[in-house]
Amino acid sequence: MDASVITNIFGDFSAMAPMIVMILGVLLMPALYFTTKNRVVVTAAMLAFTAVSAIVNLILLLGGYNGDYLGLFEYDAFSGLMILLFQIVALLIGLVTASSTEVTRLHYGAFMSLLMAATVGMMFVATATDLVVIFVGVELASISSYILVSMKRNDPRAAEAAVKYVIIGGMSTALTVYGISMLYGVVGVTNLAAIADAMQTQGFTWAFAIAMITMIAGYGFKIASVPFHMWAPDVYEGASTPVSAFLAVGSKKMGLIVFFKIFLVMFVAGTTVSTFATAEMQYLFAIIAAITMTVGNIVAIAQTNIKRMLAYSSIAQAGYILIVMAVMSEYALVGGIFHMFTHVFMKGGAFLIVGALICVGIGERISDYRGLAKRAPFLAFAMLLFLFSLAGIPPLAGFTSKFVLFSAAIYGDGGATSQWVWLAFLAILNSAISLYYYARVVKAMYIEKGESAERIAVPLPFLIAIAICVVAVIVLGVYPQAILGPAADAAAALFSLV
Amino acid sequence: MMFIEYTWLVPLIPAICFLIVGFFGNMFDKRHGGGFLAIAGVAVSCVLSVLISAEFFMSSAYVDVGYVAKSFTWFAFPGGFDINIGYYVDTLSCLMMMFASFISMLILIYSLGYMSEEGKRKQRYFAEVALFVTGMLGLAVSNNFLMMFIFWEVMGLCSYLLIGFWSFSHPEGDDASDNAASAAKKAFLVTRLGDVSLMAGLFILLFAFKSLDYTVVFDAASIAAVDHNLIVLASLLIFGGAIGKSAQFPLLDWLPDAMAGPTTVSALIHAATMVKAGVYLVARCFPIFTEASGVMLFVAVIGGFTAFFAATMAMNNMNIKKVLAYSTLSQLGYMFLALGAGGYMIAIGMESGNTALIAAGSVGYVAGCLHMVNHAFFKALLFLGSGSVIHSTGTEDMREMGGLESKMKVTSITMLIGSLSIAGFPFFAGFWSKDLILEQVLHAGDYGAAGWVFIVLWLLAVVTAFMTAFYMFRMWYMTFRGPMHKKSEHSHGESPRSMTIPLMVLSVFAFGFGFVLFFGFDSLLSIQIIGGQFRMGGMESGGAHYLVEFFTNVWTYVTIALVLLAIYLAKNMYELGKIDPARFNGDGESWLYKALTERWWFPQLYDQLSWKLGYGVARGVEFIDSNIIDGSVNGLSNAVAGSGELVSKAQTGDVNNYASAVIGGLIVLFVAVVALFVFMGGL
Repeated sequence: MDASVITNIFGDFSAMAPMIVMILGVLLMPALYFTTKNRVVVTAAMLAFTAVSAIVNLILLLGGYNGDYLGLFEYDAFSGLMILLFQIVALLIGLVTASSTEVTRLHYGAFMSLLMAATVGMMFVATATDLVVIFVGVELASISSYILVSMKRNDPRAAEAAVKYVIIGGMSTALTVYGISMLYGVVGVTNLAAIADAMQTQGFTWAFAIAMITMIAGYGFKIASVPFHMWAPDVYEGASTPVSAFLAVGSKKMGLIVFFKIFLVMFVAGTTVSTFATAEMQYLFAIIAAITMTVGNIVAIAQTNIKRMLAYSSIAQAGYILIVMAVMSEYALVGGIFHMFTHVFMKGGAFLIVGALICVGIGERISDYRGLAKRAPFLAFAMLLFLFSLAGIPPLAGFTSKFVLFSAAIYGDGGATSQWVWLAFLAILNSAISLYYYARVVKAMYIEKGESAERIAVPLPFLIAIAICVVAVIVLGVYPQAILGPAADAAAALFSLV
Repeated sequence: MMFIEYTWLVPLIPAICFLIVGFFGNMFDKRHGGGFLAIAGVAVSCVLSVLISAEFFMSSAYVDVGYVAKSFTWFAFPGGFDINIGYYVDTLSCLMMMFASFISMLILIYSLGYMSEEGKRKQRYFAEVALFVTGMLGLAVSNNFLMMFIFWEVMGLCSYLLIGFWSFSHPEGDDASDNAASAAKKAFLVTRLGDVSLMAGLFILLFAFKSLDYTVVFDAASIAAVDHNLIVLASLLIFGGAIGKSAQFPLLDWLPDAMAGPTTVSALIHAATMVKAGVYLVARCFPIFTEASGVMLFVAVIGGFTAFFAATMAMNNMNIKKVLAYSTLSQLGYMFLALGAGGYMIAIGMESGNTALIAAGSVGYVAGCLHMVNHAFFKALLFLGSGSVIHSTGTEDMREMGGLESKMKVTSITMLIGSLSIAGFPFFAGFWSKDLILEQVLHAGDYGAAGWVFIVLWLLAVVTAFMTAFYMFRMWYMTFRGPMHKKSEHSHGESPRSMTIPLMVLSVFAFGFGFVLFFGFDSLLSIQIIGGQFRMGGMESGGAHYLVEFFTNVWTYVTIALVLLAIYLAKNMYELGKIDPARFNGDGESWLYKALTERWWFPQLYDQLSWKLGYGVARGVEFIDSNIIDGSVNGLSNAVAGSGELVSKAQTGDVNNYASAVIGGLIVLFVAVVALFVFMGGL
């Protein structure tokens, strides 16, 4: 479709069109709930705004639109695809929230508004070409999420989790601001491309290194990479499950995009300068990736609470995607983007099942899942698919995306390299370890006997969202071309920033 | 090319049956849960396989290049190469397709009777078996390693589901169902260890060849262009996958436990599918495995040792299915030994340009493949026969059987044929392949610096042949002869027709399949190397050639004598009672007897490793993670505040605690960067 449909309406603001639609929704939600007091209406409106925003985005994306706004935002194949990812997350979570018994009923309009605001923040990050905009976007998403975490019914754990999240978030923000200001002091600009240019003329200095390290630490919290991960299990466990899902599949992706936009672009640009320490930074990221995936997977084995287990598994998944940062090739980025998409569906789907079961009174412990296959055959089967996909069992989506991602570690843009083969092997080994704890859940569901054999009926919106995830996990597994093509365009677009 | 074009249907038909039976089985076929459809589907695949094979052997492609392959792009890799899907037909895949589909079909027919009391759950059973067969047939016709790996994993998943079939409610009670659950998980996880290795091997191949297609990887020109060491590494890693799937040492422990599933599933796993995939993989990868004689030596050593090691554990087991399970491990070991010995000679022949040696080595390949098919027939027969006995007596313990011959005529005779075949009694199928293997191993001992290893392996293999004959006839005499026990007296007698007919069909093959060697069919099981290029399907050597080799070789007679001695011993010990078994084991008190019943303490070792060590590490890391990284005050606050999860959690929210974590992380990052710069000499 031709992008002019949108550009005629939005004019100069076309680059921000999907966000503008969402921002309207953010403003409208509390008013709508105040006047109607009807959660179904608010949910429908939220879904409608997000869907319109998604359609606008799709038209721009498929129309091949490229444009910027004030040099701060730039819409291209990369930002379009990432915006689509956040919109999918928002639609999945928005769909189920009203029927979840965990989410507060008192401030439903505010909840929906904040959910959309957090999504807008993530979309900001996806389109940003300026450090300040990235910072603002991350803060918008984070501050909204702090409140979302606290909005849970009858559970003191939520308030505690929210407080932890705020403190950790505040500290990571402080680190980030420190890094950004230091960087600004060194180069005098905040535009990403301009920074990359300046760095190429100035070379790598200690001041620059310190700025980078504090920023890596600050944004490391957002993706929960080891050693900045300790908040994630507590917060995911404490928050209502739809919010946990939102944080695991949405917020984390935002952090990864920041990594791609700032560090990847900058260090790839730096490879043209001999004094630029790209090789050292690649090793740094490789170490972070290796430790993150290994710690995430090993600690997940010891978990008995399924939300904590999924939280640790999310940490491990972020570790896999950090391989992109070590390899720093366009091919790896394609694999990373692909895995980010499959992760949305498999991890999101798994969290949604946990959330759906909590609604019907099944607990969060893995032992509570005993005999689930008899009580809810569809949910059990869907859970089996999601978990096996996470573990990388073919022909599910998780296998295919991991295959692309891991193979990138041994096959860079310039041909085969042996530098990162160890990282690929470690990732394969980690996938095998992860099967151990996923299989425990499957065993509980399919093999162990439950105390009750009563059939379970979960709310319909949950079933719809889960069914969408099931279809995606299978389709992306057997027909990866659907996402690999756009992902290749996106990776090329990001690399053209250099 | 009338039929070959439709090769993709061979795995697809069972896959469709899986979907239909899985969703609607109980609706259209109440009595059998869709079993007839599953049988029909596999039967169509079987017929199609035969037609494809016949067409292929008569085609010019067979003579010219040795294969017919077709591939379509599945997805284009951003790295500049494609991953394809497609089919690859050569003699090896024809062989696999035919015997896997034929035996699976017989097992499914048998299941109609065997699973008749399972009620509604038959739908699940037949659907899962159909998917299992899909996995095996898909593996056989795949044209690249990734596709092969996908079907490989599908089979792993099915085995998990089928071994755990009785985990909800086992006919023999709760203990047995827990047992089924843990066995299923063990099978899944242990074979996964091998899969990790295989996956890593595939990555190496992808890295080296920039393709995973058989046509590229097995091409002599592309092999020559690739770093030799990479191929060796890839071969070893791929063989790791075969070790896991075919339950070779040291990953052999899951297979005996997998007996917890229904006996038909054991027959399927042991005879037609699953464990044969590992043998297939090694046979398939001959062009790259033979790049280094060391790789083939490794294959042979693992195979030879497993053959011996597993046979020892079968000597005193009282469970009829477990005896058969150990014998499968042992026979699989024979297959790897044969492939390894043959491949070793080929590798040395290729290095030194000795074409006679290459031709001699290809006989090892023939022996391995022939034993794979023979084993499929007699092991399916033996498992189904043991299933018939279990069905009739309701026990798996051989001490509770005995004297069943009079009650179960068909079962006892067919099982006798199976036992004679596996024991290597002259002129039965197993005799020809086993003897060929022994001869090959001895032959391999004449070449290369590592030749002496093959002499040792040969000795082990001969001893194994003796043990095999002994434990098989121990099983047969304990079950069908000797004094009758209570459970035998109350047995239901002979099993229904749907169960005995497959037994009779299989016994014909278990007796006669070895004769294919003498009708020119050996060329179908063979390989040849023309101008350095491997080709499946070899020259016909003719029956006389083998007959002369067998019967002019003095060792053949020695082995036959050992087999007869073993049968004689078993008869005296377990039918006539002239020799008391207690004389050899000190009434079950000797250390050897205990070692064997404890399976050389392997299960305990695994439990220690996987459970204690694995879980211990996980707990340890978690402890460090939550108590040291996540703030050292935690333990203190717990002690002060008493207990209560909430309290301790709230304490974790301490701001100081988090601040120290943040600073700690930052310092770690700084140190890492400085260390990297110092180490790598940057800045």
